[in-house]
Amino acid sequence: MRDLRMDHGAADLEPALARVLQAGTYISITLVAVGTLLLLGGGTSPLAGGPALHVGELLGDIAAGRPEGFLWLGILGICATPALRVLGALVGFWRRGERDMVAVAVLILAVVGAGVVTGLLAG
Amino acid sequence: MEVGLLMLLGGIAAGAFGSILGLGGGLLIVPLLTLAFGLPLREAVAVSLVCVIVTSSASAGVYLQRKQANLRLGMVLELFTAAGAIVGGAIAFLIDERLLAALFAALLVYVAATMLGGLRRRATNEPATDDETPPHAHAAGEGVERDDRAYLTGRMPVAALGSVGAGIASALLGIGGGLIKVPLMHLVLGVPLRIATATSNLMIGITASASAIVYLVRGGIDAYVAGPTAIGVFVGATLGSRLGHRIGQRELRIAFVLVLLYTAVEMARRALALG
Repeated sequence: MRDLRMDHGAADLEPALARVLQAGTYISITLVAVGTLLLLGGGTSPLAGGPALHVGELLGDIAAGRPEGFLWLGILGICATPALRVLGALVGFWRRGERDMVAVAVLILAVVGAGVVTGLLAG
Repeated sequence: MEVGLLMLLGGIAAGAFGSILGLGGGLLIVPLLTLAFGLPLREAVAVSLVCVIVTSSASAGVYLQRKQANLRLGMVLELFTAAGAIVGGAIAFLIDERLLAALFAALLVYVAATMLGGLRRRATNEPATDDETPPHAHAAGEGVERDDRAYLTGRMPVAALGSVGAGIASALLGIGGGLIKVPLMHLVLGVPLRIATATSNLMIGITASASAIVYLVRGGIDAYVAGPTAIGVFVGATLGSRLGHRIGQRELRIAFVLVLLYTAVEMARRALALG
């Protein structure tokens, strides 16, 4: 593992990752805001118990203007944004030839993937 | 409609308070949703994690752009926090909610005691404890901190173990885990404090994301609750980061310590009374 101190000479990667995080956040939060407006505008109480996530129905729900479609797509976007940042870092480190950091990024994504499998097995 | 607006306002208050005091929203959202809206603790933790990711991602972007966060160190340590978060997410569905409530009460008392200690030392600008809030307020006039000291990488195993603990705490309690990560990096690895805070912030996203995914896959996230709460926290954190410097920190901290202690008592009562 190379020196872990900050590398101010690498000017390209951090701003690119910053853009990934900010774009992911703002797109996701906009979707959640639309879903929330539809939910509250429709007079539904948030305590009514939201519908479960059905990935296959997301686009249909959005096309029909149902709040759950926007809410779930936004929540999925929120959860995926940090992983997208890691994926971006993986590509960046690969281009720079930093194989040790590529390995770290792959392992992080593998751990997140293991979370999905763990949840599915336990659920 | 009224409940939704109250949830939105509660989220704004939690986000603003967390941002102004550098605590992050997670610490406040769980008590808000359980005590004020009667949600089961586990469900509140799941929603809190979604809110934590939102504020962390927004602010980590700014920290990265300003080169205040150490990407390499953050990624090495977040490998361990993410692993801890998966373990914590699995444990959360196995243990009694009363135990979770008791753990949360202990966390609130710890944070209140830390804040009281900070007040005594008159260190009103001391580093954030669980800060995943937008950094506009903290960063005004601050340049990039020099990072030319050698890190104590020989202590990396200790930091890795502590990071696993931070991940478990995050998944169990719906917090960012900066309370553990910042001291780990600063005291154990010798990372300058401001860089440790920014790097912790960067790590919070993937930590909370790994936890939230476990809750998501197991059907533990209620989208109807997560929507208004996340929007409220995002708006509140943004407002707080811009208005924080205009508000008297000492008075606010004293008030907040009282709120934390009251909430801790309520959580402890819940721990004793549930079931």
